[in-house]
Amino acid sequence: MYIKDLYAISPQKTHDLSFENGDWLVFNEFIYKAIEPSYQDIIPASQLRRMGKAVRMGIGVSLPLMGRNPKPDGIIFGTANGGLEDCIKFLNQIVEYNEGTLTPTNFVQSTPNALAGQVALISENMGYNITHVNGSLAFESALLDASLFFDEHGQEEKTILLGAVEEISDYNYNIDHLGKRFKQELVSNEDLLYSNTPGSYCGEGSTQFFLSNNPEKSLAKFSALKQSSCLSKNEIGDFVLSFLAEQNMNPEDVDCLLLGKNGDSLTDSWYDELAKPFGDKPTVYFKKSVGEYRTVSAFASYLAVQLLNGKAHHLIENGAAAEPRTILIYNHFDAVRHSLILIQK
Amino acid sequence: MTTNREELIVEFKEHLIKYLNLLDLTPADIKNDEVLFGGDLGLDSIDSVELIVLLDREYGIKIKNPTEGRQILVDVNTIVDYIVANRTK
Amino acid sequence: MAEIVVTGMGAISSIGLTIAENRHSLEHEISGIRKARHFKSHYSDSLVFGEIDQSDEELLLELGLEKGLGYTRTTLIAVKAFREAIQDAQLSPEDLASTRTAFISSSTVGGMCYTDDLYHDANLQGSPSEFVKHYEGSDHALQIVRLYGMKGITDVINTACSSSANAIALGARLLETGKVDRVIAGGSDCLAKFTVNGFNSLRILSEQACKPFDNTREGLSLGEAAAYLVLERKADVTDSKKIHAIFSGFGICNDAFHPSATSDDARGPRLAMELALKRANLNPEDIQYINAHGTGTPNNDLTESFAFSKLFKDVPPFSSTKSYVGHTLAAAGALEAIYSILSIQNREVYPSLRIEEPIPDFPFKPTLKYAPDVTINHVLSNSFGFGGNCTSLIFSACT
Repeated sequence: MYIKDLYAISPQKTHDLSFENGDWLVFNEFIYKAIEPSYQDIIPASQLRRMGKAVRMGIGVSLPLMGRNPKPDGIIFGTANGGLEDCIKFLNQIVEYNEGTLTPTNFVQSTPNALAGQVALISENMGYNITHVNGSLAFESALLDASLFFDEHGQEEKTILLGAVEEISDYNYNIDHLGKRFKQELVSNEDLLYSNTPGSYCGEGSTQFFLSNNPEKSLAKFSALKQSSCLSKNEIGDFVLSFLAEQNMNPEDVDCLLLGKNGDSLTDSWYDELAKPFGDKPTVYFKKSVGEYRTVSAFASYLAVQLLNGKAHHLIENGAAAEPRTILIYNHFDAVRHSLILIQK
Repeated sequence: MTTNREELIVEFKEHLIKYLNLLDLTPADIKNDEVLFGGDLGLDSIDSVELIVLLDREYGIKIKNPTEGRQILVDVNTIVDYIVANRTK
Repeated sequence: MAEIVVTGMGAISSIGLTIAENRHSLEHEISGIRKARHFKSHYSDSLVFGEIDQSDEELLLELGLEKGLGYTRTTLIAVKAFREAIQDAQLSPEDLASTRTAFISSSTVGGMCYTDDLYHDANLQGSPSEFVKHYEGSDHALQIVRLYGMKGITDVINTACSSSANAIALGARLLETGKVDRVIAGGSDCLAKFTVNGFNSLRILSEQACKPFDNTREGLSLGEAAAYLVLERKADVTDSKKIHAIFSGFGICNDAFHPSATSDDARGPRLAMELALKRANLNPEDIQYINAHGTGTPNNDLTESFAFSKLFKDVPPFSSTKSYVGHTLAAAGALEAIYSILSIQNREVYPSLRIEEPIPDFPFKPTLKYAPDVTINHVLSNSFGFGGNCTSLIFSACT
C-alpha cells in the first residue's frame, strides 16, 4: 500500500504545511482545537451550510486531496464518533422539545458515514465506500480494509482515499471528562509527559491519505499493521516481537519509534514496556503535538511519512535519526485497544 | 406577534436563513416570488422538512402531510400567506 | 478465490429470540410489529415497532450478566445472538480467543441507546451514569471481546442501514486473503429515542405497520435485532453437516446521489447487485429469490423495483421481510442474510406481509403468501443505507 499523497487538518499548522517545516505550536489548554482553513474556496456554500465540524474538516481535507489526484476506486474512513456535536444537538432537541417536531439535519449529519457519503456525493464517486467506527481502532480498521482491497486487486492499478476524522465538541469533552480521560490540571504540551497525573488532553482533526498499489513516485508505504483489544501488560513484548518476526524483522531494523504516550500516569507505562526491546531508539511522542483522540494513529502515520521524507525532524527525541527508512507506531487507548503500524520508505 | 405583512416577510426570511443555515444571505437577497426548491437557492427535501419545523416552532402551524407541504412551500409569498391564515402564535 | 461458507447463525428479533423461533414466525406469517411494551417514548402509543419481547432485566438474567457494568440493550441483544451463533458453529473458547478469529460487528445507535442518560452526561447534569464509558458505536463489540477474551482482529462498521451486510463482506474478504481462519460477522441495533426521532424528523415513519411494496405504503416501521453469522473457508470445515450455505458474492458501491434518498434511476442499487452477481460468477436468471431492502418508504420501494426491472428480464420472487420485523438498521443486513439462508435450507419463500395493492408501475409483484417447496439455489439480499451506501449479498445452497 503506497502513499502517494496526504493532507491533514490538525491542532498544529498542518493545513499550510508549516508544522512539518518546523513551526510547532505550544498549547496551554485543556482542548487542542484543530486549526481549520477557510473553507469558502474548498467547499461549495450550499453544502457547507449544513456541515458539522467533523464532516467539514473531513471534506476540507478530502477535496484538496482529490483535486490533485485521480478519482479513487474506493473511499474508506475511520471515525470513532463521527459528527458528535450534531448527534448531541439532535439529542438535546429530543429532550427539550419532548420528542416533538425536530429538525432532521442534525440527525443526518450525525451518522458517522455522513462524511464518506458526502465525499462520494460531491465527487460523484460510486466506488467502494465504507466507514469503520471501531473506537480507537477505527483508523486501523480502515487501513486493514484498504489493504484487503489492494490484495484483491493484485493485477490492476487501484487507488483509495483513506482517512480518519474526530471532532471535539463540548458534549463529548464532557462525556470523556466524566469518564476521567482528561486531566483536571493544566500543563503545557511541552511538559505533557512529565505531568505525573491521570488522563490527558483532548485533540481532534482529520488526516487522509491517497493510496495506490503502484509504487511509482510514492512518499512511503504502509507495510504492516496489527491490532488487539485484549492484552495484558506482560503480553505487550510478545505482541511487538511477533509482529516484527512476521515481517522478518528485528527491533534493530526499526529506525524510529512513534509512541502514543499521552501523559496519563495510569497507562503510559505500557509504552515503556513496548519500547524495552528497542533499547535507545530515536522516538517521537506525537500526542505532544495534537493531544489524545480516537483516530490519532492516522495523524501519527501522517507524521511518519513526513519523517521518512526529511521533514519534522525537530520532533525526534532520544537521539537523531539521520535518514529513517523504517518507522514503527505503537498506540493504545485506555490500555485496552492496541495497535502497531509499520511505515517504510 | 408581527401583524404587518412586510415585517412578517422579513421576520420569516430571518427564520429561513437561521433554520437552513443560509449564512451568506440576508433577507434582501431572497425575493418574495423566488422558488425555494429547484431554484438558485439550492434547497432540497431535507430543507423542506426543516421548513415544516420552522412553521411549527415559530408560528404554531403543523403540517403533517408532505404533499400538503409541497403546495405551501413554493415561495416566500405563498408561505407568508399560509402563516397569516393559519398561525396559532 | 477460496469458497466461504456459513457454519453458524444466531438471531434475536421481534419475531423470535432464537433462529428456530424466527423461522417459525416467518413460516406462519407472524409479524412482530406492534405496540411497544418495553420501549418508552412519546411515540410508544402512536407508532408500532418491531420490539424484542424481552426487557433489559430479562436479558441480563438470561445471559448471566451483572447489572451496573454498562451493558446497553445493544450489547445485550448482541451477546444473545453472538452466543447462539458460536454455539451453532461449535466454536470452542480457544477458537474464540485465537488471533486467527476475527469479530466484525456493526451498529448505528451503538452505545447511545439510552438517550436520557446520554443527555445528562453530555450536559453534565448530575453524577455520571453507568454508561458514561459505553456510548461509542463500537462499545457492544468491545464488551463481547472482553466477555470471550478475543485477541484477534476486531472491527465495527457503520454504513447506516447496510452496515452488517458490509460486516459479512469484510469477514469473507479476511478469510479469502488468509488473514484469519474464522469470522463472526453481523450487527446489533436496539430501539432508541434517538433513531425513532431521527427517522420521524425525516418524515419516513409509517403510523401503521409498514407495508413494503404496497402502492399506499407510507414509510418504514423501526425494529430492533441482533444477528451474527460464523464464516469459514469451506476447505477448513471437516464436518460438512455444519455448513448452512455458501456465501458466494457481494457487491458494494455508493449511489452518490443524496444524503438520505436513493437516485431515481437506482444506479447504486443496480451496480451493487451487478457487482454481487459478477463476484459470484452468476447471471441474473440464476437468482431464485430476492430478499429486498424493501423498507416501506415511497422512495426506496419504487427505486428498488425499478432496479429489479432493469437488471432482470424476469424478476424472480422477491419480498421484504422487514414487513415482519421492521427496519432493524445496522442489524438488517445480517438478519436478512440469515432469513435468506433459512429460505434456501427450508425450500420456502417468506412473503411481504400486508400488501393490499402492489405498486402498479411494474409488471411484477412481490410474493404475497408463504410459498413452500421451492427450490432455491441462489438468493440475493439487498441492503441500502443513508449516505448512499449500497450492498448486495448472494447466498447459495451447498452442493
